Amino acid sequence: MSEQTGYTVASDTEIAIGIDIGTFQCRLAVWNGSQVELIRNTRNQKLMKSYVTFSDESPSPVGGVSNQLSHEYEMLSGATIFNMKRLIGRLDTDPIVSKASKTLPFLIQTLGIGVRPFIAALVNNIWRSTTPEEVLAIYLLELKALAEARLKRPVRDVVLTVPAAFSRFQLVRIARSCAMAGLHVLRLMPEPAAVALLYAQQQMPKNMGDSGSEKIGLIFNMGAGYCDVAVIATAGGVSQMKGLAGSSIGGEDLLQNTMHWLVPEMDSLFSSHGLEEIKSMGILRVATQDAIHQLSSQASVQIDIDLGNGTRICRVIDVEEFEEINKDVFEKCVSLITQCLRDSKVVKAEYIDDVILVGGCSSIPKIRQIVTGICKRSETEIYSGINPMEAAVRGAALEGALASGVNDPLGNLDLLTIQVNAHSIGVRANRNTFVPIIDRNTTLPARREMVFTTAHENQTEALIVVYEEVDDANQLLLGYFKVVGIPAARSGVPEISVCMDIDASNMLRVMAGVIMPGSGPRKPVVPLMEVRMPTADGGHGLCADALNKILGSNLDLVCPHGKLNT
Amino acid sequence: MLKTVLRTPLSTLIRKTLAQSISIQLLEENVTQLQNQPHFYTVYRFNSNERTRVFRNPQIHFIRNSELLGNSSGFCSSGSIDETSCCWNCKAQSPFLICESCGSVQPVDHSVDYFRIFGLERKFDIEDGSLEGMYKNWQKKLHPDLVHTKSKEEREYAAEQSARVIDAYTTLRKPLSRAIYLMRLEGIEVDEEQTVSEPELLGEIMEIREAVEEAADSQALNKIQSQMEEKLKHWSNFFANAFGRKFFDEALKSIQRMTYYHRVNEEIVKKL
Repeated sequence: MSEQTGYTVASDTEIAIGIDIGTFQCRLAVWNGSQVELIRNTRNQKLMKSYVTFSDESPSPVGGVSNQLSHEYEMLSGATIFNMKRLIGRLDTDPIVSKASKTLPFLIQTLGIGVRPFIAALVNNIWRSTTPEEVLAIYLLELKALAEARLKRPVRDVVLTVPAAFSRFQLVRIARSCAMAGLHVLRLMPEPAAVALLYAQQQMPKNMGDSGSEKIGLIFNMGAGYCDVAVIATAGGVSQMKGLAGSSIGGEDLLQNTMHWLVPEMDSLFSSHGLEEIKSMGILRVATQDAIHQLSSQASVQIDIDLGNGTRICRVIDVEEFEEINKDVFEKCVSLITQCLRDSKVVKAEYIDDVILVGGCSSIPKIRQIVTGICKRSETEIYSGINPMEAAVRGAALEGALASGVNDPLGNLDLLTIQVNAHSIGVRANRNTFVPIIDRNTTLPARREMVFTTAHENQTEALIVVYEEVDDANQLLLGYFKVVGIPAARSGVPEISVCMDIDASNMLRVMAGVIMPGSGPRKPVVPLMEVRMPTADGGHGLCADALNKILGSNLDLVCPHGKLNT
Repeated sequence: MLKTVLRTPLSTLIRKTLAQSISIQLLEENVTQLQNQPHFYTVYRFNSNERTRVFRNPQIHFIRNSELLGNSSGFCSSGSIDETSCCWNCKAQSPFLICESCGSVQPVDHSVDYFRIFGLERKFDIEDGSLEGMYKNWQKKLHPDLVHTKSKEEREYAAEQSARVIDAYTTLRKPLSRAIYLMRLEGIEVDEEQTVSEPELLGEIMEIREAVEEAADSQALNKIQSQMEEKLKHWSNFFANAFGRKFFDEALKSIQRMTYYHRVNEEIVKKL
C-alpha cells in the first residue's frame, strides 16, 4: 500500500492532508505525488468513527481513530462524546442542541438563554465537563498522529471540509480545535466545493489544451449531521459554483425522529440521565440505527428490544412509515435543491448534465428518489464516477496539494473550484431590519459597499451591527463596532459607508467610514474602521438583546433611499 | 432629495493582507494617505455586478468614471500601475493581466476595460459562451487559491485581478448590466432609480404588476415570464441598434425598459 508508493515529493514542501471530519465518521487522504490516497488506520480502515471516550484508566481520552470498540454500546455509556460537528459553535437556544440534549447519552445541559451549552462525559459516575472544541481537538490529535505514522513525516498543514450550513462561529470553532491539535488550517472548504474539485479532475479533457465543453453538475451531499446542495459549471478543470445551499439536517435527524416514533415518551423517560436510562437510550439508539440501515435495502424491519426498565418495544416499521415520520427532513431536502437550482438560474432540470449524490445518506431510497425526481432522471443515471463516502475527503486532499503548491507534470492538479458564499451578510439598519450587503451565492473573493446615513438629528455616533443570515429569517450576530466622530448634522446628511470584504480564504472584514457631502476635497472625517469578523463570541443572542436594551435606536443607521430590496 | 445629496463616493483601498499591517488609502481626486506603507497599494473598485441593488450605490459610478477616464495612475501614490508596459518581474514587454514570458500576475491596470479582458470588441452583442471559457482560463491563472506559494505581493495582485475578472464576467454576462456598462464606458451614467415619466410605459408597468399579483398559478406566471423574456429580447436588440449608431437617448430608454422587465422577472421568480 502506502509504503511502496512513498511520499518523496514532500521532501521540500509539506503537502497538506485532507480531512473530512463527519458527524458520524471521518476520513483522511493525501496527494501521494500522482494521485489521492486514503490513509488507513492501524486496523486498515478508511472510515473511522468520530467520537472520543473519557476514562480514568487511560491517561488521556481515546478517540475513534485508534480505539477499537468491543461493542457499539460502549460508545453509548455516557463516557463517550460524539456528534461534535453537530454541536460545535451552537448556543443553548439552538433547537439542534436542545433536541440533542434529549437523545444523546452524554450530558448536554441547556438553559435556553443564548449561552454555550454545558457538555459533560460520565467518568466513574461523575459528570466531567468538556466542550465540543476540546473533544474535536483530541480527535484531531489522533488523526494527526495516524497521518504522521503513515506518512513518516510531521503533519501540520491540513485542509478540512465543512458543511455549507456552517455559520462563521462554527468555522471559528473548528479552526480553534485544529489549532489546539497543532494543525495549521490552509482551508476550511465547503464539502460541495471539495466534491466539485474532484469532479473537475474527472471531467478533465484527455488531451491538453482542449478546454472541453461545459458541464452542469448538481451535487447533493447528506451525511449524519448536515445536508449541502451545490450547482457547479465545470470545464477545463475549473468548477464555478453557481449556487450553494445547506442545512443542519441529516441522518441524526432521521434517527432521532424514528426513536421518538418508537418511544414517544422518550424525552421525559431519559431526562435525568441516570445509569439505567443511559443504557436504555443506548439500546434504543443502536436498534434504531440498525433498522434505518436495513430499510435502505428492505421494505420493512422488525424492532424487538428490551429497554431494561420494564419497557419492551416490539414494532414493525416499513419504508412508508419511515418516510412519513421523517417527512419534514425530506421536505427540507426538496426545498434546498429547488432553492439552489433557482439561485443558480438553472431553469430546467434537463440542463443538468450530472447528478452527483454523496454522503452517508445517499443510499437512502427516499433521498435518491427526491434528487433524481427533481433532476428528472432515473436512478441509474446518477453519476457513478465518485465514491459517495470518499468524495469530500478526496477533494480536500486535492485542495491540500494545490494549496501546498504541488505541480503535477501530467496536469492532474490543473484544477480550481471558484466558490460562492453560502450565507448573506449584512448590517442592521432601518430600525432592526437586516440589510444584506453581500448576498448569498456571491462569487468569492467579493467586496460590496453600501451607503447609509444617520437616523437622528445631530447623531455623532453610529453602531455597525453585522449579521450573518444562516437560514431564512435566522440571523446570527457576528459582531459590532461604533463609528464615532460624525459631525453634527441633520439626519440623513452624513454618509456612512459600510464595505464588506470576503477574501478567497473566506475571511470576512467589515470596513466603515464617514464622509460629509459638500464642496472641497472629499475625505473621511475620521479614520476608517476595519474589523475582522466575527468579533462577538458565544452568547451573541444575549449581545443583540443587550445592545437593543442599552442603546435603543440612538445609534441607528438607515438606508438613504428609505427603502429596502426594491 | 437624499439621492442627490448622497451622490458622493467613499472609496477605500485596503490591502488584501491580514489585519496587522493594514493600510488604508482613500481613492479620490486628491489622494489621501492615512497610513504610510513603504510599498504598493492596490486599488479597489466597487463592483457593480449581479444585483441591481449594487448599482443603486452612487459611489460606484464615480469610481467607474475616473477609472474609465484613465485617471488610474492618480489613484496609487506608489503603485506600479504606471509601469504596466513591462512585467514587474522579468521586465518583458506589455504583459496583460499576467506576463506571457514568466507567468507572473501583474497589478491591476484599470485602463483595461472588461471587454478587453475577454478579448472582445466594445459592443453589445456578444456570442453565447464566449465568456465562460475565457473566464475560467483567467481564473486558472489568477485565482488566489492557485498562487499560495508565490510572493505576498503577487498574491495580492492575484486577489485583485481575480476579483476584477469576476466583476468583468458577471457584468458582461447579463445583457442589462452589459448595456449599463457600455453606456458608462461612453461616459453616460444610468440611474436605475430614475422614475418613469412616460405615461405609456407607466401604464404598461402597472398592468404587468397587476397581472403578476393576480396570477393564480405557476402556469400563469410562466406565461408572463416568457412575455417578459420576449420584451427583454426586443429591447436589447433595440439597445444594440441604438448604441451602435450612438443614439444614446434611445439607448437609455431601452435600458430603462429592460430594467423594468428584469424586475418583473425577478418578482416572478420570487413567487414561483
